Amino acid sequence: MRRSVAEVSLSLGVLALGIGVTGVTATLPSGGGYAGIGPNFIPGVVGAGIILLGIWLAFEAFTDGWRNAAPDDAAARGEHAFHGAGFAWISAGLFIHMALIGWAGFVVAGVVLFACVARGFGSARLARDLGLGLVLSVAIYAFFVKLLNVNLPAGWLAPLLGTAGV
Amino acid sequence: MEAFDALLAGFGVALKPINLLWGFIGVTLGTLVGVLPGVGPALTVAMLLPLTVKLDPTGALIMFAGIYYGAMFGGSTTTILLNTPGESASIATALEGNRMAKAGRAGPALATAAIGSFVAGSIATVLLTLLAPLVVELALKFGPAEYFSLMVFAFITVSAVLGSSTVRGLTSLFLGLFFGLVGIDGQTGQPRFAFGVGELLDGVDVVVLAVGLFAVGEALYVAAYQSRLTESLEKLKGSIWMSKADWNRSWPAWLRATGIGFPFGTIPAGGSEIPTFLSYATEKKFSKHPEEFGKGAIEGVAGPEAANNAAATGVLVPLLTLGIPTSATAAILLGAFQNYGIQPGPLLFQSQAELVWGLIASLYVGNIILLVLNLPLIGIWVKVLSIPKDILYAAILVFATLGAYSLHQSWVDLLMLYVFGLLGFAMRRWDIPVGPAVIGLILGPLAETQFRRALSISQGDATVFFTQPISATFLAVTAALVVAPWIVRRMRRGRTA
Repeated sequence: MRRSVAEVSLSLGVLALGIGVTGVTATLPSGGGYAGIGPNFIPGVVGAGIILLGIWLAFEAFTDGWRNAAPDDAAARGEHAFHGAGFAWISAGLFIHMALIGWAGFVVAGVVLFACVARGFGSARLARDLGLGLVLSVAIYAFFVKLLNVNLPAGWLAPLLGTAGV
Repeated sequence: MEAFDALLAGFGVALKPINLLWGFIGVTLGTLVGVLPGVGPALTVAMLLPLTVKLDPTGALIMFAGIYYGAMFGGSTTTILLNTPGESASIATALEGNRMAKAGRAGPALATAAIGSFVAGSIATVLLTLLAPLVVELALKFGPAEYFSLMVFAFITVSAVLGSSTVRGLTSLFLGLFFGLVGIDGQTGQPRFAFGVGELLDGVDVVVLAVGLFAVGEALYVAAYQSRLTESLEKLKGSIWMSKADWNRSWPAWLRATGIGFPFGTIPAGGSEIPTFLSYATEKKFSKHPEEFGKGAIEGVAGPEAANNAAATGVLVPLLTLGIPTSATAAILLGAFQNYGIQPGPLLFQSQAELVWGLIASLYVGNIILLVLNLPLIGIWVKVLSIPKDILYAAILVFATLGAYSLHQSWVDLLMLYVFGLLGFAMRRWDIPVGPAVIGLILGPLAETQFRRALSISQGDATVFFTQPISATFLAVTAALVVAPWIVRRMRRGRTA
């Protein structure tokens, strides 16, 4: 008898999503015109499908675990034990990037993201990471803004980078 | 020969210097990004989409054809030298290619992969040229009911029939279908699942989903579970050229593999995975040196690589003629078409013949560029491979956020990117396939439109899907695919009991 907390949680998560989709679908209008079905019909089908799949997954999780699942042994999956710090550094980097990009600009946010991700992969050379991040971000910024005319925020570095467009 | 004239006109488009340049840039960038470990063709295409925003449609699509082929080839270089297949289609190559590299024969392995890809890709493009007008002819007879049933068939084959688990494949598909519902309903203007958020009203963009699942999810997964492992990069030693014996053993494998790969690509069978394995098994059977298999047999690289490229070209048949993507990469390509307001399908061959045939002609050109570019530049690709993981993933994520942010200049898209990243992380760790979700996102809204159109025409009579012969056939085949394995299992169990 094999039961995995992760499989049970994921199954119940799918089930919860299905219930949520069905709940929101109930608020959609059903007016259908010639077809006789409205914008709520397919969402209803998809919601019901997700609920059924959640039940199916949960059934497998509670009886012997998911069928044909990845092996329980980490080495057999080609993995080491879960390394939380790596996961956390990348997540933190993406959230700081989200907060910074609007006002500090694409380049500053990119440098911070670069350094955080590199740290998550075990880099201990902060100065090198900041330098490489700066070179890459400025290169991307210059290419997209000056050459392709894509609008990216200059933020704090606006006096140095100039404004968008050629 | 109407198609032949059209193709000649297509070459007129593809051989314009500016379009040649876009093809050249596409192949180079596709190979460069495709070589990066952990970056498969789907992610390569998704990450490079933002580059085309300001191009004219023809140039952009030609560039994308180049990226598509380049990404396929780049992946095989990584597999041979690093033994970490970036995509499922490369697993077969890893079996023999990496062993050849370990034995100091990386050069011939890369050469047979490159030349085999060229041969298979070119033959498959000829087959595409011949087959496409016939499928278009047939597809013009399709109404909404037929399209809907065909899409159901594609949904079921890519999610329920292939892969290790029916229920996990279907779960992935339905997640994609749900993401596809977000936004404004195309027929009534009713917002759905947008909760008043402006960025969601536009719907879930395929770039955000694909880059989130593939890039952010992969980065989280590798950092958490694999960043402390060491892997060995094989050196490129000796001549890169193939000996006469290598040639004699390679070319029959290329041809057989093309015959296997192309048909599998054209049916909705999830792309390249099955044909590459079939080709591997075939070569093992036909080889005069079966004892070398598992120790670095060149046929085991030549066959699967050719099959992979032939299937990749075959996938373009349903994509261009019917507008139906049958692999995650094809779904992202379809997303790129839609960004330009182009809906692939039989009508496109009439309304924008120049664009379609220009694209097909550029596939021929792309194959040649790929061949002349890749072998001489192999030293550069090897250098790209030795980029350390910390710098590699940091650069990938900076580029990934760019694609998401440039949609609306909004952090909401970045938050969605992270949420899809968490989803991709979980799917990767607990063995839920990602492809069906990407296909569901793109194909779901098209299927809903066809479904409602069919019902509008029949005045709400749902039997229309079963009374139209073509539509009924598609549904019957779909049902058979689902039920048959179950019945076979039952009968076997009954016999042994």
